Amino acid sequence: MIRRLLISSVWLYFALLLISPILYLAVHSFDEGIAAFWSEVTKPEALHGFLLTIEITAIVLVLNLVFGTITALVLVRQHFIGRTILSGVIDLPFSVSPVIAGFMLILLFGPETILGTFFGTLGVKVLFAMPAMVLATLFATFPFVVRELTPLLQTIGTDAEEAARTLGANEWQVFLKVTLPMLRWGFVYGATLTVARAIGEFGAVLVVSGNILLVTQTATLHIYQSYVDFNYVGANAVALTLLAVSFAILTLLELTKAKAAATVA
Amino acid sequence: MGASSLFALLLAWIIFSGSVLAGETRELTLAAYSVPKEAYERTIIPAFQRQWKQRTGQEVRIRSSYGASGAQTRAIIGGFDADVAVLSLEGDLDQIAKAGLISHDWRTGPHKGMVSASVVALGVRKGNPKGIKGWEDLARPGVEVLYPNPKTSGGAMWDVVAIYGAGLKLAEQQAGAGKKPSAESAEAFATSLLKRIQKNVKVMDKSGRESVTTFERGVGDVIVTYENELLPRIKSHRPYELIVPQETVWIENPASIIDKHVDRHHVRDVAEAFVAFLHSEEAQAAFTELGFRPIGQATAPTSAGTALPLPNRLFTIADLGGWETISTKLFGPHGAWTTTVEDLARGK
Amino acid sequence: MTTHRLLQLALRSAAVGYVALLILFPLVAIAHQSFTGGIDHFIQDISTPQASSALILTLEAAFITTVINALFGTLSAIVLVRYEFPGRWFLNALVDLPFAIPTLVTGLMIAAIYGPTTILGTWLQQGGVSVLYDKPGIVLAMLFVTMPFTIRSLQPVLMELERDQEEAAFSLGASPWTTFWKVTVPSVLPGLLTGVFLTFVRALGEFGSIVIVAGNIPMKTQVASVYVYGEIESYNPQGATSVSVFILLISFLVLVLLERLTRPPGERLPRWFRWSKQPLSMIRPSEIG
Repeated sequence: MIRRLLISSVWLYFALLLISPILYLAVHSFDEGIAAFWSEVTKPEALHGFLLTIEITAIVLVLNLVFGTITALVLVRQHFIGRTILSGVIDLPFSVSPVIAGFMLILLFGPETILGTFFGTLGVKVLFAMPAMVLATLFATFPFVVRELTPLLQTIGTDAEEAARTLGANEWQVFLKVTLPMLRWGFVYGATLTVARAIGEFGAVLVVSGNILLVTQTATLHIYQSYVDFNYVGANAVALTLLAVSFAILTLLELTKAKAAATVA
Repeated sequence: MGASSLFALLLAWIIFSGSVLAGETRELTLAAYSVPKEAYERTIIPAFQRQWKQRTGQEVRIRSSYGASGAQTRAIIGGFDADVAVLSLEGDLDQIAKAGLISHDWRTGPHKGMVSASVVALGVRKGNPKGIKGWEDLARPGVEVLYPNPKTSGGAMWDVVAIYGAGLKLAEQQAGAGKKPSAESAEAFATSLLKRIQKNVKVMDKSGRESVTTFERGVGDVIVTYENELLPRIKSHRPYELIVPQETVWIENPASIIDKHVDRHHVRDVAEAFVAFLHSEEAQAAFTELGFRPIGQATAPTSAGTALPLPNRLFTIADLGGWETISTKLFGPHGAWTTTVEDLARGK
Repeated sequence: MTTHRLLQLALRSAAVGYVALLILFPLVAIAHQSFTGGIDHFIQDISTPQASSALILTLEAAFITTVINALFGTLSAIVLVRYEFPGRWFLNALVDLPFAIPTLVTGLMIAAIYGPTTILGTWLQQGGVSVLYDKPGIVLAMLFVTMPFTIRSLQPVLMELERDQEEAAFSLGASPWTTFWKVTVPSVLPGLLTGVFLTFVRALGEFGSIVIVAGNIPMKTQVASVYVYGEIESYNPQGATSVSVFILLISFLVLVLLERLTRPPGERLPRWFRWSKQPLSMIRPSEIG
């Protein structure tokens, strides 16, 4: 039957493109046994990397949720000159290669620049420290929340909010009690993608972090270090761990969606 | 909280900060190229920390970063506040000096500022199935050659320089004993050798290390890289063989303090001691353990202990006119390597 | 000014300010770098044999990736929405994974599995198909990282479409053909276009995985992002930024085109955007995003 053929084709597509490489990674993480896997994943450099990644991801998530929501609201609800440009600019981070993203930050915050010397006199290190790493990750993850919210906002329209306003609610109440709940799934989805992408950020952070062992090495940088140290098992093990965490988050999302659909129906 | 506990807390804080000040901790930031990481992390850094503690009673905390030599150079110029730079090419240190970060002449140190040495060598599969003996074998059809991209890898620059210089030496040989070929014909031969070898290159990784990992994945029949990259791998029982061609280039890697940063951080004394330590017996032993050559071997072949024989027709960067000259000659916009690659792509 | 208007302006400045600071500003810095020698120099930089080959290769590969992705992505989206089958939740969760995987790891995985030491690798080699270090490898890497885009852009649309189609069929007694052209296509088009255009734009900028699976031989298997990296590393930042700016311009134009094509004309919202008359409580969360 057509149904069976289509479903099998999709399984095949996923298997070839996605599942087999990941399976390969999984299998080879255990080339030297479970004990080796565990020691690689729990050694100080790996743990530091995980911690740093979590820190950066948390900061990026909060900032993106706040500003992503504002931008989506402005993009959909307001009409002004330059709206098209704003919209076109928002997705640009997708096409900027990480080398350039990192290079941009160096151009902006380098030692001879206005911003660089400004922060220098304040005693704040931007490049080759946490701030630049956060900025690089922020740049890469910005589109996600906005792009999850805009279609939702467009679809929902302003009816419910108008209704609430006529019933006497003020702007803040409208926002908290009407707008936010309707956007709930957009947030969840945008947050999930932001976290997933932030965990996986590599290229730009490599350029702007200085790659200082046990200081500015994120989990992905640690994977790269392990790889060039010929420690393949270590690289694979930490990569697999990151994948597993992301997959767990994504699966959780899927299951929550299914459960919510089941309860409402 | 009563007044007495507050007092106890205050006392504890005074004692604590007092003890921290007495056995002060200094901090040094090191930016190095990736290849000697093991030597530094396992041996050199801990040994230096011990020595410094003995001498001054202070602890030294060393923050280290390892990456491609060029990338580290750019990072330092872009603001990375390393106190000591250990790089693969002297050209990279010169770039940092040009940016105004190194104000002293770093070449006035022992061994003209160089801390480690090696040669460009070839790695083949165990048993040498393709029968590689020298550079001409790399130009044979059907032989897959690996080396990284000179645009992004300092190691690759050494490799291409080795090929080109070997070409010059081979031209000399062909001209016969006592006769010297003209500069043009020697260069033409060298360029043709480079072209024939480059034709066999299917993959150019972005760094020397990545090139070796590609080789490890089973790609390529022969890899051109630092000898000190191959020796540790062979020592770890990888199925490779090392071949050192008779004509190859002598590699020297420099190290220097970054004046601007050490003065800002007030660690000049520690930084200078660290660089001096790199020339010590202990540090040099760590390097030779990792497969480097003794730094003075090129000029005094029978001195320091190593089982690695010096190639017969070894040449140095100085023989080729210095880095600036050879760099432009090979990698400039009309350089031999640049035009070779373009010609090959056009099918010429 | 009413508080509402004031609030509107405050929000707009916040949004524009944030976007400007985070995205526009850095990009302008890059553009400034590339145009320091004037527009002639810019044109020169992007028309050198190496730069132009890299650009053409990148555009070619991205185009092929987009076509394949559009086909298989649409198929996958339809299957994931229309059919219930064991393991559907698994595939759904997998779709977003390429976002999470560091591009470095993607490259390593692909290089490992198609390398000369694996079954798949040797089998392909014997069949005369060169994947790794050749153009197919580049397309493969691009496919991997762009896989989520089409699927994710189409799924919500298809879910909304299901109900609409049933409604239309019931209330209008329309033929399947009419339903397809009057309902399906206009509803699906914005989602499809979004997915396709985003795929293209994303593929143009990919670096981390391609630099590992491609041979990176200049003028043969070197994409624009790798060329840019090479120029930065060899102290030619102007050449690097010029090519990057060129890619960004193409991406920007594509994105602007997308916005125009999917924006509702004037204030009138097309069917896809118009919410049905059902009360909010009846909206199934699974249909949203």
